[in-house]
Amino acid sequence: MGAFKLGGMTLKSVFKKPETIQYPAETKTLPEGMKGHIVCDIEDCNLCSLCAKRCPAKTIQIDKAAQTWSINRFQCVQCGACVRECPKGCLTMEPTYTAPSTSISVTTYAKEDAAS
Amino acid sequence: MALITTFEDITIADLDALKHQKQAEGWRCVQIFTTHNDDDGSNDLTYTFHKDDTQANYRIKGITDKDVIPSITDVYFSAFVYENEAHDLFGVNFEGIAIDFSGHFYDLAMNEPMTIMSPEKKAAREKAARVAAAKAAKAAKEKAAAEAAAAPAAPAIDESKLAGLDPEKAAKVRAAMEAKAKREAAKAAEAAAAAAPKPAPVIDEAKLAGMDPEKAAKVRAAMEAKAKREAAKAAERKGE
Amino acid sequence: MSKATVIPFGPQHPVLPEPLHLDLVVEDETVLEVIPQIGFIHRGLEKLVETRDYNSFIYVAERICGICSFGHSLGYAETVEKLMGIEVPERADYIRVILHELSRIHSHLLWLGLAADAFGYEALFMHTWRLRERILDIFELTTGGRVILSAVCVGGVNRDFDAQVLSTIKEKMDSIRSEYKQICNAFLKDSSVKNRLVGVGTLTREEAIKYDCVGPFARASNVAIDCRMQASGAYSRLSDFQPIVEKDGDCYARLKVRLLEVLQSMDIIEELIATMPAGDIAVKVKGAPVEGAQASNALEQPRGECYYYALGNGTKNLERMRMRTPTTANLAGMTMAMKGCDLADVNMIVLSIDPCISCTER
Repeated sequence: MGAFKLGGMTLKSVFKKPETIQYPAETKTLPEGMKGHIVCDIEDCNLCSLCAKRCPAKTIQIDKAAQTWSINRFQCVQCGACVRECPKGCLTMEPTYTAPSTSISVTTYAKEDAAS
Repeated sequence: MALITTFEDITIADLDALKHQKQAEGWRCVQIFTTHNDDDGSNDLTYTFHKDDTQANYRIKGITDKDVIPSITDVYFSAFVYENEAHDLFGVNFEGIAIDFSGHFYDLAMNEPMTIMSPEKKAAREKAARVAAAKAAKAAKEKAAAEAAAAPAAPAIDESKLAGLDPEKAAKVRAAMEAKAKREAAKAAEAAAAAAPKPAPVIDEAKLAGMDPEKAAKVRAAMEAKAKREAAKAAERKGE
Repeated sequence: MSKATVIPFGPQHPVLPEPLHLDLVVEDETVLEVIPQIGFIHRGLEKLVETRDYNSFIYVAERICGICSFGHSLGYAETVEKLMGIEVPERADYIRVILHELSRIHSHLLWLGLAADAFGYEALFMHTWRLRERILDIFELTTGGRVILSAVCVGGVNRDFDAQVLSTIKEKMDSIRSEYKQICNAFLKDSSVKNRLVGVGTLTREEAIKYDCVGPFARASNVAIDCRMQASGAYSRLSDFQPIVEKDGDCYARLKVRLLEVLQSMDIIEELIATMPAGDIAVKVKGAPVEGAQASNALEQPRGECYYYALGNGTKNLERMRMRTPTTANLAGMTMAMKGCDLADVNMIVLSIDPCISCTER
């Protein structure tokens, strides 16, 4: 019976650990540098707007008068261009993805000493 | 051993000979694509062929709505995909395509979508056009004034009109014409003086921008003095 | 007296990964003629050069297609570098080729799974994609993304591979290789697979040349064309490269070409890892392309030869960017291969060109 070519693989898989994990009970340890969402350290930011200019999806808004940095996480494509372009190095990509939600919101970071 | 790419410009008439020559030599048709020129609404077609290590690109420029391009599908059948695409997206007219979809290959909601300018590009072009137009108008005005000053053409006494009138009336009309001519000449001279090619900008900001403040102030003062002198001279000349 | 009927195939069909419409002119069960129609996934991506400058457009280029994503970003970057006369550091070249060959392995494993699913062998589909997951783990480890990598920039690459990453890649390659031999065996020796594929959709060598076919589709018909023979970038550092060619020209031959190409890619990656030089990974890119400057390039993607062209206009936005993907070139060959086949074989022939319609239409 030469038709059962995957016999060896099938038999071994009975005794081996499964290839998948029991998500969400178990989670995989994410490697360093995994893409996720952008976080801004607003105190270091000098509001130069280079990140907003380089963003291919036009998701970052900088308001110099109000001293805020905002990002529309649902429009972001996680390319990492802003992280690389920032001259101050105040942007980082955290490995967890934006959670699904029922409405699109814009996340704003405001400086502590901003004029209200 | 690396890829050698060549670029050449050809005309629509060369296409027939080109396709037969390429087939005879064993070249493979890589693709055909269109570039839209926003300046005049024309299209450029580029044909690409490949053999061994050489990739040869041939471009036909300035194709309008009235031009009909002969199809190469009789020799290279696979070109029907690219020719239908060029027709559907850019509006280039072909004749004799092996499978002609007549606009239904890419059945899209709008016709020739690649020829429509995006708003950002349109805004950028309008701004550039405004800047260029302002510059051109200024140059034209200066040129016209220079010409007027060079040959002040006062409207001559129109003898033909006077010929058919009786003497008294003729004399009156002649006087009126002379007065008009004088007025016009005066006006022309005024216009010439007003639009005379301005001397070098009074304060050359570009020069000052690069210098430190103290020196800049000194140079600015010197420029102003020079400008005053030149104005005085011009007024003198005019008064003469 | 039988007459011809027209049966529409697609755009929605379980066997198609992407929407393609075919009008099949059928008499009894034999297909007489095939008329293709595309345009269901046209997004006008080539027009986006007007609004994204040449550095940002690379993020658009890699999102043209999920399977050939890395190939498009690499081809675009190489073309712009040719346009502006930029020389990329050697280490960046090696990293780019390693990632490109990994992308080729993942694309072929994906296709093998789809082909197995198309002729009904679901267990083989699951096992093939299980092995593909290990490649995606490598992508995740090295670039941060599983499918869209954002690893290439104009002037080099964004992230470096350190020694530990390289050894992890090698380990995973070895773990795939041992199980891969069994999967090859299942594909090539199984009689039910042979019944479905041998003698189906044959394209002779003359026809393959006449219809300008590219990639594994042409190599299965004894036409030895492969852009890697032009040896650009790190491909020129390989000791030896011969394209894999099969003589029969039917679907079975195309399957065999892709199976063997996976093994060839694994060898290429191991050779490049062993000989990788040290150095920078990117050069700084300044300025804009000169007005009227043109550059064209060809890259061997998993599906065949992909043609790129860039035209500059003196500003930071390119005037025109063109990508002609291998599936567009193979459409004519596919319609010819389907003439005279059975209706039940249509989906196997369509799959055997490895259709990536989102690349065809951009």
